[in-house]
Amino acid sequence: MDARKSSITVGLIVVATILIIVAGLLPGAKMLSIDAVLRVLVAPDGKIESILVWTLRLPRSLTAAVAGAGLAVSGYILQSLTRNPLADPGITGVTAGAVAPIVTCFVFFPSISGHLYPFVGLAGGLAAATVTFWVARGGTGHPLHLALGGVSVSLFLGAITIYVLLFAGPQSTALLFWLVGGFSGRSWANLLQMLPWVLSGVLGALILYRVIAMFSLDDRSAAGMGVQLGFWKPVLLILGICPVAGVAPIAGPVAFVGLAAPHIARLLRPRGTGWEIGLAAAIGSLIVTTADLIARTVAIPKELPVGIITALLGGPIFVYLIQRGRLDFRSEGP
Amino acid sequence: MNTKASTVRQPSPWVLPAVLTLVLISFLAAVFLGIVDIPARDVLSALTGSGSPEARSIILDIRLPRIVTGILAGVQFALAGLLLQTITRNPLADPSLMGVSQGATLTVTMFLLFTVYLANPDSHSVNELPIAWLPPAGMVGGMIAGGIIYLLAFRLDLSPIRITLCGIAVGAVMHALAIGLIAGWGSARIEIILEWMSGSFYARTWDHALFLLPFTVVGFAMLPLIYRPLVLLRFDAAVARSFGLSYRRQFSLVLLLSCALAASAVGAVGPIVFVGLIVPHLARFLAGRHFPLVLPLTIVLGAVIVTLGDLIGRLAGGAEEIPIGVVTAVTGVPVLLALLRKIP
Repeated sequence: MDARKSSITVGLIVVATILIIVAGLLPGAKMLSIDAVLRVLVAPDGKIESILVWTLRLPRSLTAAVAGAGLAVSGYILQSLTRNPLADPGITGVTAGAVAPIVTCFVFFPSISGHLYPFVGLAGGLAAATVTFWVARGGTGHPLHLALGGVSVSLFLGAITIYVLLFAGPQSTALLFWLVGGFSGRSWANLLQMLPWVLSGVLGALILYRVIAMFSLDDRSAAGMGVQLGFWKPVLLILGICPVAGVAPIAGPVAFVGLAAPHIARLLRPRGTGWEIGLAAAIGSLIVTTADLIARTVAIPKELPVGIITALLGGPIFVYLIQRGRLDFRSEGP
Repeated sequence: MNTKASTVRQPSPWVLPAVLTLVLISFLAAVFLGIVDIPARDVLSALTGSGSPEARSIILDIRLPRIVTGILAGVQFALAGLLLQTITRNPLADPSLMGVSQGATLTVTMFLLFTVYLANPDSHSVNELPIAWLPPAGMVGGMIAGGIIYLLAFRLDLSPIRITLCGIAVGAVMHALAIGLIAGWGSARIEIILEWMSGSFYARTWDHALFLLPFTVVGFAMLPLIYRPLVLLRFDAAVARSFGLSYRRQFSLVLLLSCALAASAVGAVGPIVFVGLIVPHLARFLAGRHFPLVLPLTIVLGAVIVTLGDLIGRLAGGAEEIPIGVVTAVTGVPVLLALLRKIP
């Protein structure tokens, strides 16, 4: 695929995402007609349709889109960094590392403001990733070590999370809905809180795409091309965890997006690493907005947690990847 | 599995007796110690059938069934872990890493959802929960998860690594589904599920022990039959076949047995993380890769670890006891990470 085709592909997926977002404005407890939605989108007024669109449905769909892009880029960076096709925020324990301290803060230290949660999540995610990567020898050892190390770290943190939930008593219902990942009732404020974290991850990855591309070769080749491994490894790791730290406090852990989106992007074979990152972000947005739309329309007026839908979409992809034998990681290079 | 000659050292002859003594000590400690202080003499008289009614009911109806259920479950977890680790040639295989626990969680959640929530959506009563049906429900789920992994991985003659990864994938999907169901359920009665999910011996009765007993007995009865295949299954499929092993059949048999052991234990006491993973390693460490000794040591240590872990959880947590699943996860992780670092 050359640059023109790549840009067309990214453009098409972005358009599809926007269409899904617009389509997502229609259904809900009160169905809106398409011209009503278009009218209030152009000229907001104080009527009920306008409020529904502008304060409920649009911010949540946009939050879903941004979260999807962030998780996808996070997965892409982690996969390149570890040269492990199974690395993603969930498998490496980053998500669990971000979630467990946030839940703990929520239950035991309610005085901590929600605005600090991304920092708490970042610290936890970094700690969990450090342990996982230490076990997997920088993530470059056998894929199995990374997967099992990450799953063990996740199980450990999951046990702590459940214990904290047992303590939480009546709060645990709300916490559980957050824990499974969801976008119900997310506002513009939530979106703004998440945006800088996701943007820093996505833009950072796009700026550093050459370094990321070299990392997907192997350590020696990367060093041979002048990459300072000792400096860039931790930088990329933090870059990869940033979006998760931003997304987790708002939307909870959304499973499998970070795993599936980069692989789908690679299967489309865009021009180079830069385009792959952009494509992965666009696909992540598309997956999460679609999953969110499905989650809130199949059982109106109740809604399913979006994590179920993404798990159902991503799980088969994961198994397919295992069976197809793409266990050794290869990238097309810059 | 490392079979380098240099690492084979003879185990000390006193390992097995020492561990057996440890079982006795931990068992007695678990009977005599508890959050309700009962003098040792009262415990003894309660055990012999006399003594005050309170002491009798605490010892005979609360502590003893709980300890016995725990021991049976611990033995089953440990045995299932050893079997899985041996046949997948993966030192990290474990029922909770391979989807069996998550499958059980999913069916228990669904079972509670359909029987309790959908049957009487308005009532907030907790007294009519069908607790007795949870173990079979969990077991069905664990077996289904095992079956899915078998169909996905083994039918295609995949390598042990792929089987493990398939297990992780299946487990992750089922876990997400279970959590999703619980969250979507949104009932005030989720605590029962949380308690079960964290793995606990709390309020386990003789019924639970009786539910587990046949599985433990069958597991033990199968051991002589699968012992030789088990030794051969540690090798590659080709090598094992050259020894005259019908690889596929024996592999399936052992996989089925370990799934049944793990699934029934998960059903009875919830997913107790890491027991199945760590105990076989501990046994191997003590037995010095002397395989005939690994098997009995695994069984005995499974009982010890679970009894002690439960005792710690009971005593350390005070009135709100710490579920053993949390105790084993917190103490097990350092061991696990150290092991992971050591494996080349």
